[in-house]
Amino acid sequence: MQDLEMRHLNGPEVGWDGQKAMEKAKALLRRGTFFSNYIIAFVIILTLNFVLPRMMPGDPLQAIYGEEALLAMTPQLEAELVSRLALDQSIGQQFVAYILALLSGDLGHSYYYNQEVLSVILDFLPWTLLLTGTALVISTLAGLILGIESGYRRGRQLDKTLLAGLMFLSGFPDFFMGIVLLLVFGVVMGMVPLSGALTPYSGLEGLPLALDILHHLLAPLAALVLVRVTSAYLLTRNTMITTLKENFILTARAKGCTEGQIKYRHAGRNSLLPVVTATGLLIPHLITGALFVEIVFSYPGVGWLLYNALLTRDYPLIQGILLMVTVAVLLANLLVDLLYSKLDPRVSHAR
Amino acid sequence: MHVNVWHEVVESNMGKAGLLLIGLMVVLAVFAPVLSPYSPRENTSTPAFSRPSADHWLGTNDARQDIWTQLLYGARTSLTVGFGVALLTALISILVGGTAAIFGGLYDRFWMRVVDATMAVPDVIVIILVAAYLRPNVLLMILLLSALSWPGGARVIRAQTLTLKERMHVSAARTFGAGWSHLLVRHIIPDLGPILVAIMIQDARRAVFMEAGLSFLGISDPSVMSWGKMMQYARVFTYLEVWKWWLLPTGLALSLTLMGLSFTGYSLESALDPRLREADHHHDGGI
Repeated sequence: MQDLEMRHLNGPEVGWDGQKAMEKAKALLRRGTFFSNYIIAFVIILTLNFVLPRMMPGDPLQAIYGEEALLAMTPQLEAELVSRLALDQSIGQQFVAYILALLSGDLGHSYYYNQEVLSVILDFLPWTLLLTGTALVISTLAGLILGIESGYRRGRQLDKTLLAGLMFLSGFPDFFMGIVLLLVFGVVMGMVPLSGALTPYSGLEGLPLALDILHHLLAPLAALVLVRVTSAYLLTRNTMITTLKENFILTARAKGCTEGQIKYRHAGRNSLLPVVTATGLLIPHLITGALFVEIVFSYPGVGWLLYNALLTRDYPLIQGILLMVTVAVLLANLLVDLLYSKLDPRVSHAR
Repeated sequence: MHVNVWHEVVESNMGKAGLLLIGLMVVLAVFAPVLSPYSPRENTSTPAFSRPSADHWLGTNDARQDIWTQLLYGARTSLTVGFGVALLTALISILVGGTAAIFGGLYDRFWMRVVDATMAVPDVIVIILVAAYLRPNVLLMILLLSALSWPGGARVIRAQTLTLKERMHVSAARTFGAGWSHLLVRHIIPDLGPILVAIMIQDARRAVFMEAGLSFLGISDPSVMSWGKMMQYARVFTYLEVWKWWLLPTGLALSLTLMGLSFTGYSLESALDPRLREADHHHDGGI
């Protein structure tokens, strides 16, 4: 029954899964099986990465390296790859070779870029980090403030407008929100650039360069924030509503606290806890959302790289990107679970 | 207090809007052949990139295909995937969650561990990975999405079944020697109704969203028209005016379907939650 209550308290499920995370966090903490689920999830992805190409009919080398590699294939190269992947040995030994290669940071070789997969990804990663990082900070802060203001004014005009408006916005898939912003502000109004992360060959440095990067960042950032701000907003609003009914708020009022003090210091602070969960939840969605938004804006991040890898069937690159994203998502979840128990003394005492 | 949940959903504005949107999409999907004389892949005799006209309500695309027809058949794909995943996840959720609650013990603990681990797996990644190797089709998509989205439902069903299990009529049935399958089918499932529907709506929404996103990435059944695929093709032509009747209507159709599902789900969940219901009746301005 407790699970059920949490689920409703979190409000409507729009584009994200509040109940899923709350339950996940709670279940994990309760059983003290903190890391094992993440390890299991990671092993599942690793196994898929290993098994899928080897399961394919035909030459496993082709399935692992894609057709691009066959063009460059010479007998020497083939022999080298077979011995490197241990393809002439048993499945067990192949798996050991695979894991050992991963441990040494070897994600394989991209024949399309003619580079090691890891170094290709590292070239594109900073832009994704910039996009998801700023989107995370802005949507959490905006969601918190809007949620506090809206919850404090429950039932009034501002609250109703915000609730309906944000619910409406969160109904858009992020890539379509990106397309709409691109069309309106890029194509029709010509206010933002249509693609890229900076103006090529501009020779800008210092502040002008930063402004140029910001200019390119605005539209993809706005697309992510507009769709994703709702989760933090709804959670904060719901917590505000329940917190405002508590006795200590009445006490605060009686002793003459100002509106602002009650709103932010007394009630608002109590809404922080669920927002941590919401933020943690947001990270996987933001990462995958950023993948899609990057494609729309041809923003040179990991998502755009993944799209091109899918188009060119660059299998080692696809595998490498997905592995990195998995690690990022799992680490983020783990971090939030740890932070959650730090923030809420009840949770750490219960353990 | 006994509350007629369905009645409340139909009465609320949110519920009405949601059901209306879902109904609209179902009509478009079901009557697609009636609503359009073309087939989605037919190369018509109209020139490519024609503006909307009486013959082609949304004009034609680069391959002289009728965009309105593609939109209708895209609705079929989205709704098939959504409905299929909702049905399959509900089934797995009941089987796992229901039996875990009834049997308890080691069996329960085993399944809850599986639920926890599956929840930690990032689903978009698994699907992209699998689809990159296997040729994706609608059935595979439904199976994959269901395989990854059942744990949330199973957990809720388990929690709900645990409370239902203690109700008088269930204990009575048990005293008369009813087996677990009888208990589940005759006594537990009927009472799970509204919650089950809420879970199904959530899963359907996610499935429609994921299918569109994945086919936007190019991961889709090549023989089937879908909204994500239409947007993937249309995106390339933003420098022409065609986006007004190609890209935009497709995205709107997808967004409206998603909104229809969220609105219905939201009103259903508010009807199920006494606290939110109370909040709706007292408009005291929060002070």
